[in-house]
Amino acid sequence: MNRRQFFLDSGRGFGAVALAGMIAKAAEKARAQRVIYLFMHGGVSHVDTFDPKPSLAKYDGQPLPGSFGQGLITSRIDFRKALMRGSPWNFTKAGKSGLEISDLYPNLQRHADKLAVVRSCYGDAFDHAPAIYLRASGSQFPGRPSLGAWTVYGLGSENKNLPSFVVMSDGAIKSGSGAYGSGYLPAVYQGTIFRGGQSPVLHLANPQGVSAESQKETLDLITRMNRRYSASREDDSTLEARIASYELAYRMQSEAPDVVDINKESEATKKLYGIGEPATDDFGRKCLLARRLVERGVRFVQLYSGTNLGDDWDDAHNDLLGSHNKMARKSDLPIAGLLADLEGRGLLDSTLVVWSTEFGRTPLAEGKNGRDHHPYGFSMWMAGAGIKGGRALGATDEFGLRAVEERKSVHDMHATMFRMLGLDHTKVTYRFQGRDQRLTDVHGEGEFTPWLTT
Amino acid sequence: MWKLLVLATAALAAEGDLPSRAQAILRKNCYSCHGPAAMAGLRIDQPGDLADGVVVPGKPENSRLWLMMTGKGRAMMPPTGKLNAADLSVIREWIVAGAKWPAKSEATKAPTWWSFQPVKPPAVPNSGQGWARNPIDKFIAAKLNQNQLKPAAEADRRTLLRRVSYDLTGLPPSADQIKAFEGDGNYEAMLDRLLASKHYGEKWGKHWLDLVRYGDTAGFEQDPYTLYAWRYRDYVIDSFNNDKPYNQFIKEQLAGDELFEDPRQQQGTGYFAVGPNRDMLYKVEDINRIESLTDFTDTTSSVFLGLTAGCARCHDHKYDPIPQRDYYRLQAVFAPYQKNRVFLHYNNGRSYDLGEVTRTFKLYDVGAELAALKKPYFDRIKAERLAKLSPEIQQAFAVEEEKRTPIQKALHDEHQRAVNPSDEQIWRILSEDDKPKLERLKSRLLALYGNYVPGPFSPGITDIGREAPKTHVPGKGTPYGEEVGPGFFSALGGGDIPAPPIDSLTTRRRSALAEWIARPDNPLTARVMVNRVWQYHFGRGIIATSSDYGMRGAPPSHPELLDYLADQFVRQGWSLKKLHREILLSATYRQSATASPLANEKDPDNALLSHFTRRRLEAEEIRDAVLSTTGTLNTKMYGRPVVPQLSSEELYGMSQPAANAWPITTDKSEHIRRSIYMLVKRTYRMPMLEVFDRPEGVLSCSRRESSTTSTQSLNLLNSNFTINQAEVLAGKATTIDAIWQQTLQRAPQESELTMAKEFLAKQTQLLGNELAARRELIRGLLNTNEFLYVE
Repeated sequence: MNRRQFFLDSGRGFGAVALAGMIAKAAEKARAQRVIYLFMHGGVSHVDTFDPKPSLAKYDGQPLPGSFGQGLITSRIDFRKALMRGSPWNFTKAGKSGLEISDLYPNLQRHADKLAVVRSCYGDAFDHAPAIYLRASGSQFPGRPSLGAWTVYGLGSENKNLPSFVVMSDGAIKSGSGAYGSGYLPAVYQGTIFRGGQSPVLHLANPQGVSAESQKETLDLITRMNRRYSASREDDSTLEARIASYELAYRMQSEAPDVVDINKESEATKKLYGIGEPATDDFGRKCLLARRLVERGVRFVQLYSGTNLGDDWDDAHNDLLGSHNKMARKSDLPIAGLLADLEGRGLLDSTLVVWSTEFGRTPLAEGKNGRDHHPYGFSMWMAGAGIKGGRALGATDEFGLRAVEERKSVHDMHATMFRMLGLDHTKVTYRFQGRDQRLTDVHGEGEFTPWLTT
Repeated sequence: MWKLLVLATAALAAEGDLPSRAQAILRKNCYSCHGPAAMAGLRIDQPGDLADGVVVPGKPENSRLWLMMTGKGRAMMPPTGKLNAADLSVIREWIVAGAKWPAKSEATKAPTWWSFQPVKPPAVPNSGQGWARNPIDKFIAAKLNQNQLKPAAEADRRTLLRRVSYDLTGLPPSADQIKAFEGDGNYEAMLDRLLASKHYGEKWGKHWLDLVRYGDTAGFEQDPYTLYAWRYRDYVIDSFNNDKPYNQFIKEQLAGDELFEDPRQQQGTGYFAVGPNRDMLYKVEDINRIESLTDFTDTTSSVFLGLTAGCARCHDHKYDPIPQRDYYRLQAVFAPYQKNRVFLHYNNGRSYDLGEVTRTFKLYDVGAELAALKKPYFDRIKAERLAKLSPEIQQAFAVEEEKRTPIQKALHDEHQRAVNPSDEQIWRILSEDDKPKLERLKSRLLALYGNYVPGPFSPGITDIGREAPKTHVPGKGTPYGEEVGPGFFSALGGGDIPAPPIDSLTTRRRSALAEWIARPDNPLTARVMVNRVWQYHFGRGIIATSSDYGMRGAPPSHPELLDYLADQFVRQGWSLKKLHREILLSATYRQSATASPLANEKDPDNALLSHFTRRRLEAEEIRDAVLSTTGTLNTKMYGRPVVPQLSSEELYGMSQPAANAWPITTDKSEHIRRSIYMLVKRTYRMPMLEVFDRPEGVLSCSRRESSTTSTQSLNLLNSNFTINQAEVLAGKATTIDAIWQQTLQRAPQESELTMAKEFLAKQTQLLGNELAARRELIRGLLNTNEFLYVE
């Protein structure tokens, strides 16, 4: 067995080794050691959050002038007939920088000087699953590794007792697990779902009726049998790796519940995240868990706000006001708390926090009260990791329809995130179907790291 | 200096005059791409091609050819690496001398990449005397000799039976079968018994389903069921079990509708229908069609030809001689496709459709009657409940949905579940008069659905007609560049597909493709398939990259053996079972898994096969083996996919509510059938199969990963599945010996017996009873490497 194979086989799931990292060392120093990726599931309206468009209010109720809507298509509205709709929320010039953020995010406004907003994101998929795949993997078709999988493939984990790529959702994502899958990379790089409670990871708890002592006996039996088996097969390191994987599973059974046990956090910290308040408790817990995970060396934490089964930003189809008020209320304070807490603990400088969504929403009304999906121009932001905040990159046109200045594709975003982590997106590759595949395929030339950091 | 001298001598010694020598170098290194394939629009294999500055006679420094070859041009050519100094000096000399063509042009010769050359039956080497059992061994022995390695000893009987059993059927042998085999030792009879087993098709069908990215659902947000996809799965199982000749298998899948009358053969076109598909989304039909065509093109080229054509979708392939134009010529073959239902029995199918229409019509009435029955109760309860709530809420419910204010909408949404009665609540208070009405509705429904079964259909494709939509190579900035017609890869000889006869109902493009792929002299088809079989038996193909025979693919470890097998395969009527037989009869296959220190040092990947390569069981094998060893496996074959019971924590993360996305099969005896019959959802894999590297089923998978992770350990250790199965066996196997026989198919050694006794005593004390203690012993053994590995 060669060295590469050994590392592949002994990747051990929760302590994936940095295979690609060994192969393709990045040219420059990493600005971030880890990522917290806040994904707003369902599609957040850009013109109601980070991309103010006074013209929409001015022409509220009118159709688009001239040929503005030409070539735009979504599932439910006709751009030739639908009417413009001004944002029901005010925008506030927040922080010292005066970065404009809508009043949907009163708490986030306090951190405006940390946020580097990109107002010129664009994609080409206007349905949830393809758009989620696109944001996650660079392809609107499933089957490709997700950003988190590529990251841990490139960098590995700092904590061997915990998964290196953790995912927290409310239970369902419109794309299924492909959004955090490992695609054609080995399964070890797959995102691991974390839930609350005593068994945060699937099958972490002992089976019912099996005490800790009994479980230990059974594990000992497995190890003894495996040692006997290996005695005459010393040259096969995969067998050793599997023995180690059971030892690791055992250690994880003690460490993982400890991570999710937030009782040890101070009341002040819990309050910071809105834990205990009905609206913010759920996402607040996830954000706090995210901090506890990155603190312990977990490389990539992906949080989903909203699900396919319950509250969802996508309820904006027929109720923009209700859906965005509700979802922003659920996430605003927790995200603000996360930024403050990371900063307070000195973790923000080495943690890249990313806020994104699969697409924006139409500046035109859907029905009376809604907005449809809109991939042609929308917003995201990044913070932490030495990013110079309080600024916005790029712009959509007068009505928020199309990204027109500094257009940024998902590949540009991925390339930038990789660079922030000290990885060169053109060098981290995996051979599949005859090609050295990359996260950014053949793209990513619109990387904007320099803008973020200078 | 010495090196240079050697090189120079080699160049001088090369045969022929300067033009011929230059030609030979170009042919060897360049023509596979810049011959008939004309990559980047450039050919250099015929007189007249070298104009426009490609070669400027007398002036190498002005010749693009020379600049590219020396790394001074826009790209480095050839992309596989710079030519050696001797060859380069010949080229330079040739250009300086005027770049003349040889008197007799070499231009018509085919490109030289090895896998595009015809299969040449090689001479069988005379190696491995005293060890070799058949020609395979002689090829293997020759390479081992060259590397001073020796084959390992033959594995013992138990190991052999376990190995062959898993390799051919995906199931372990029983302890009794091992005893019998240890007794008579008739290896050949044992092989034939297992090759004839119905479980053979279940195991090898699964390999094929990996390749053709099989799924029971279409993927994406709705992840809808691909109705009857499983009929294709069953067709694949049957095809393997019946040892359908591989060339016929190809034809049925690519063009069963055009080539065969028998619906059981037309079923093969399910190959196209069982891939991912996002038809459910609206306004993107055009994109969906393109995605499907891309899927067909990439998957077909990869599965049947071992070529990664996908790269050429956007540009000429960077490494292989597949210009973008060729990619679209292949895609044009599929351009006229439309979905099709294959009627397995024509009359039954028509009757089924008629029945379905009648049933639907009747259901309108049942639905209306049900609604009428419910309405008064619904309204009454709702009114009673509303009356107890605040006036604001009552108002919110009174206002029409369209006219509700946001606050009213919020109030309505918050309270509607509490206010609106469920069906159950209504049935409970039904009046004596209405009760019989409900009963009558129930019996009408029962009558309508009493005999409901899946229709006699299989999914497939056919053509929209004799005319196909046009296919274009995307041009710069436009999807409509040059129009191309259907045809074959130029690097493999090319050729256009002619228009179909005037009375044809289809374009007959796919049948032309199928015939071309299944031709005995197609250089790739047989090589690719025999190598797949080899890989599944040895863990590694003779070509390690079993779906990439291009220039970036791994070179063959035993090229002559590959050709020997490919040649035999075609000669023996494309029979897979004969191929298995020959491979499994070899001494090579029968070696033990013990590697010599020298082998570990010289050949750590065991590419030369100086011993057998130990492998972990595949995901489905692990599940099936647990069921088999505990004696619960339900060996029923075929049929609609089974949805087994999973815990709610296992179902976490589904893209749709589990009631629709994971509708558990009522009959629990179905839950313990073989894994190949479990529902294959595209957005969700059963956790047990997922952690053990079952592929996602979106792209063709030619070789599974075999990873070792602690999520695997947690799953096999703590899942309900393991503990439930262990408990079943604990109830039946009451002695340590019986437990060992069932799980590991052998008797415990003396020391193991002692260990197990102590374990049982301790666990009985901890858990309070012997049954639970035995269950723990079994749960432990099911997690051991001895259980999880085949060697």
